Amino acid sequence: MTPLFEVRGLTKRFLGITAVDGVDLALERGELVSLIGPNGSGKTTFFNCVTGFLPVDGGRVFFRGGEITGAPPYRIARLGIARTFQIVSVFARLTVLENLLVFLQQHQEENFAGRLLRSRRIHRLEDQALERARSLLALVGLARVPTTLAGTLSYGQRKLLAFAAALMPEPELILLDEPTAAVNPTMINQMKELILALHRLGKTVLLVEHNMDVVMDISQRVVVLDHGQKIAEGPPQAIRRDPRVLEAYFGR
Amino acid sequence: MLRWSGWFVGGVALAVMPWLVGAAFPAQQRYILHILVFTGLFAALALSYDLVVGHVGSLSLAHPAFFGIGAYAAALLATRAGWPFLAGLTAALVCAGLAALLIGVPAFRLAEHSFAIGTLGFALVTHVVVTNWVEFTRGPLCVTGIPRPVIGVGALSLRITTVPHYYWLALTALALVALLYRGLTTFRLGRAFNAVRDDEALAATAGINPLKYRMLSFVIGAALAGGIGALYAHYITVLCPEELTIALTVNLLVILFLGGVGSLRGVVLGAVLFTALPEILRVAPTWRLVIYGLLLLLMVIKWPEGLDAALRRAGRRPRA
Repeated sequence: MTPLFEVRGLTKRFLGITAVDGVDLALERGELVSLIGPNGSGKTTFFNCVTGFLPVDGGRVFFRGGEITGAPPYRIARLGIARTFQIVSVFARLTVLENLLVFLQQHQEENFAGRLLRSRRIHRLEDQALERARSLLALVGLARVPTTLAGTLSYGQRKLLAFAAALMPEPELILLDEPTAAVNPTMINQMKELILALHRLGKTVLLVEHNMDVVMDISQRVVVLDHGQKIAEGPPQAIRRDPRVLEAYFGR
Repeated sequence: MLRWSGWFVGGVALAVMPWLVGAAFPAQQRYILHILVFTGLFAALALSYDLVVGHVGSLSLAHPAFFGIGAYAAALLATRAGWPFLAGLTAALVCAGLAALLIGVPAFRLAEHSFAIGTLGFALVTHVVVTNWVEFTRGPLCVTGIPRPVIGVGALSLRITTVPHYYWLALTALALVALLYRGLTTFRLGRAFNAVRDDEALAATAGINPLKYRMLSFVIGAALAGGIGALYAHYITVLCPEELTIALTVNLLVILFLGGVGSLRGVVLGAVLFTALPEILRVAPTWRLVIYGLLLLLMVIKWPEGLDAALRRAGRRPRA
């Protein structure tokens, strides 16, 4: 069976520096995989290339057997790939609830006239979206602040909101860019539980993460990048002892 | 209930305004209604501008050009080709919308500030062309003798000749623009527009095509501006290139920031203040513009987010 998500020989250069260098990666349905590596090893660039935010210089990306290399971000999102950003972002002048609703509406089939005139069909879709948004807010613990402007939330709350928003359209593949960076230990645990919950629901998750405890604790497989190249891949226990990985992180 | 009755009373009051004004200030009825026509057109124009600036966050400086393109399209078609009013109005909407589409394709390739400069360039070029293409636009000689609008045909036609007629026409235009503004800026469409304004990259991960929404608001805003330009041309009946100067953008920006960017009530309030204040201040003719400037300055210092935000805060306080 073809993997759900496959990257072949992905290469990205910035002014002669090769940030991502011929990286291969395949994710099977339902896998929870972490992408790690020292600062500047190309993890976020990899994310940006496969989600269409950066043009690639080489290699191909496939999702559900179809090629998505070079497709614009909004189209990749509509295919069922969600992503979060390292620097947490929400729509600051929309309310918490609206932040979630806007993530589903583009996936629901509708036309401009129907939207402008607010047909009965649109109202039914909106009700479905509202129901889903409320259950996700309950999941991440933001159910009490649905009408607050997202820009006034705390950093941690915004992070939870961004996470919940990414789940709104029920994506098959979720790419999380450092979900536990810069949050307190309680929330690191909460985030960990949420990612595991996604995994139990059968979602495919690719995680970029710096917190090794989280990575080693929840990943089924770990991929290590260094200077843009994949230097190791395997189960967490093996990666922990891999001499190439230790060298990349601590030097010789 | 209360909301609806408020709207109803307000609507009726606006509709019977010519008689109210006639009863209260019989000697100045024409003058006051004239100011109100300007207020209505300015409010509608500011709303069309706010679709772009306030809701997708693109600082376009080309709005006077779209207003002017619509005004000239209607004026020239009426005076040279004898087009009826509604046909000319439609042509104005289409011409301005098309111009926005053409200029939008290259301009939206530019990021924020460059976009503002790019659209400013378009506005300046349009002004220069209108001023200097004398054979076509009559340039500084102005288009004169623009006919009074006639709506409909034959026995059912409605002739707009007196100031109260124009007042009702401007009021209708404002109501239609406000309805469209509300439809576009609330619920699902508004959410998508505002998402693009708040964070373009994040909007893309939500499956929104940012360019499509920016273009949509830009073209609709421009088309409306063109339509209002047509109404304006048919009202003043003499159309000169000065109407297209960048001063109009400055006025529109003052209205938006005074009233509240992105808010229907705020923008309309801003337009009312902006056009009514200088007239009220005629009681002190020498110091009129000085006082006006100072008042604007004070309001901006006291309510930096605009009157709408200030009103909302004032409305919340007693209940909280």
